[in-house]
Amino acid sequence: MAENATTTVEKIVAERVSASREELLKLDSPVWASAKEYALDTAATPLANQPSPYIKATREEKDIGKITRVNIKSVHNGKEIFFYLKWKTPEANLSIGDLSTFPDGVSLLFPMKDDVDTPIKEMGTQDAPTNSWYWRADFDNKPKNQIAQGLSTSLYTENSSIIANSEWKNGEWKVVMARAFEVPEEAIKLAAGKKKSIGIAAWEGSAGERGGVKAFSKEWRDFVLA
Amino acid sequence: MPVLEPTAEDKQREEELAKEFLAIKDELRRTKRQLAMVMDLNKCIGCQLCSMACKNTWTKKEGREYMWWNTVNTMPGKGTPKDFEKMGGGYKVLFEGRVREPILGQLPTRKEFGDLWKFNHEEIVKTKWGEVVLRAKNSDGTTPEWSMNWDEDQGATGISYPNSYFFYLPRICNHCTYPPCIDACPRHAIYKREEDGVVLIDQDRCKGYRFCLEACPYKKIYFNFETLTSQKCIFCYPRIEKGVTTACSRQCTGRVRFVDYLDNEQGPIYKLVKKWKVALPLFPQFGTEPNVFYVPPLAPPRLDDSGKIDPSKSRIPLKYLVYLFGPEVEQSLKVLQQEMQRTRDGEKSELMEILIAKRWNEMFGPFTKDPIVTA
Repeated sequence: MAENATTTVEKIVAERVSASREELLKLDSPVWASAKEYALDTAATPLANQPSPYIKATREEKDIGKITRVNIKSVHNGKEIFFYLKWKTPEANLSIGDLSTFPDGVSLLFPMKDDVDTPIKEMGTQDAPTNSWYWRADFDNKPKNQIAQGLSTSLYTENSSIIANSEWKNGEWKVVMARAFEVPEEAIKLAAGKKKSIGIAAWEGSAGERGGVKAFSKEWRDFVLA
Repeated sequence: MPVLEPTAEDKQREEELAKEFLAIKDELRRTKRQLAMVMDLNKCIGCQLCSMACKNTWTKKEGREYMWWNTVNTMPGKGTPKDFEKMGGGYKVLFEGRVREPILGQLPTRKEFGDLWKFNHEEIVKTKWGEVVLRAKNSDGTTPEWSMNWDEDQGATGISYPNSYFFYLPRICNHCTYPPCIDACPRHAIYKREEDGVVLIDQDRCKGYRFCLEACPYKKIYFNFETLTSQKCIFCYPRIEKGVTTACSRQCTGRVRFVDYLDNEQGPIYKLVKKWKVALPLFPQFGTEPNVFYVPPLAPPRLDDSGKIDPSKSRIPLKYLVYLFGPEVEQSLKVLQQEMQRTRDGEKSELMEILIAKRWNEMFGPFTKDPIVTA
């Protein structure tokens, strides 16, 4: 789908497809070519919300949030959910090669509880936690599963059932993240027909973005598994 | 969907959060007591026993191999990491210490710290004597151009004979009263222990973002490339908890290092820092209030052009010592000289008794137990 044809307001729908995990992990699968693409606009995390007085004093908000849009497609096969994420970045930052280098990353965010108001800007609260699926270029396509109960509180769970495939080519990252509907670790539970909310964050490694210095979607988007 | 502008409600919440975070940082800095160290630079012989004691105790394995939580550099020199004191960080202190404004710092490179060298030992063992020379390589295969003590004896170059000088400067984490690393960490992973003020990085909370390293003006934090977390000197707190002093101080053959609580009026640290005021922090202008202090080095007097001793001038330029330890260094040197003279005159000097440290155990306050208790 051409980029100017992306939709930006309607809910994101993960259509049900008959395809295997192997197929859907392929970045060039015809399933992805025909799936509907949605745009998620992102912006700098507010400097005022940074938990670090040092970051507040030494950064400017205009210099944060280099990635301004992430395009997203989603499908499920009745047992597993798949997200295809795509964003532009002139160079790939693959690893922590040195102390002063940072890898690119992207993260999906979900409220853990469907019936409680969960602030996306604070990654949840103690009573309304969030679950994030955190892919980073140096994680060897093994994204981390995180639970957060507010800013600066996110912690990796011991195990993560999320798997990924990724590629950087022609100034663009393409990342597929996948997970079974039900997993043993603390995480959101999914099922066909279920309605959730979704948010996104992205880090541009070359700009030294890491932690709360990132771009994120400031509002939840409705997300439905067909 | 366009990205939304903050509402009045957002702004109010931002203010609430800012207050909340500042309160958390105050809590993480709060201590009941403070452990401190004094190093007498007049006694350091640069033997690196402290570095090796620390290495053997804490940084031999698990991604810590390239780290030197304790370093000893030859001064004048560029130190570890190279030119660290020019990399920013620390605080601008305003309104007589009531406000500390963080200063942007740089991240050093691994090579500026001094990488973990690999040697061609195997090649040497397998070839005839003399065919291959011992060579070191950085982790990326390049030839080392810096290390944790690359400056070795270069401090004497460029200063005209016979007035050349050098001295050693051992460094650990300063366990500052206002640690910029605590303010820097967006994870609230760094804290001072309430009972003794030792600054620690919670390895379960740290995600290796390295804002702490950026903010530390002393650059005494290392990044572990295996665990992807930041790590540093822990003031040997597991030994301290058992009444055993730090490995670096226990092993110091020159009896350079004193360890005690800063508020123990009967102990050596209080006497050197507060009573006699001869022990000073390194680069006090960084605004972090270190809890590691140095007795500045006295040097023989200068020789004049005819080769005669000029007792009015020190071989180590005062200007250089002021650069390192602040303007108080002049008074500190004066007191040291006075008290040395007192002992030469056959009088007793409490200060000299402490610094000479004949009674070794008295250097460590309550931490005098044998390390065997930690086994």
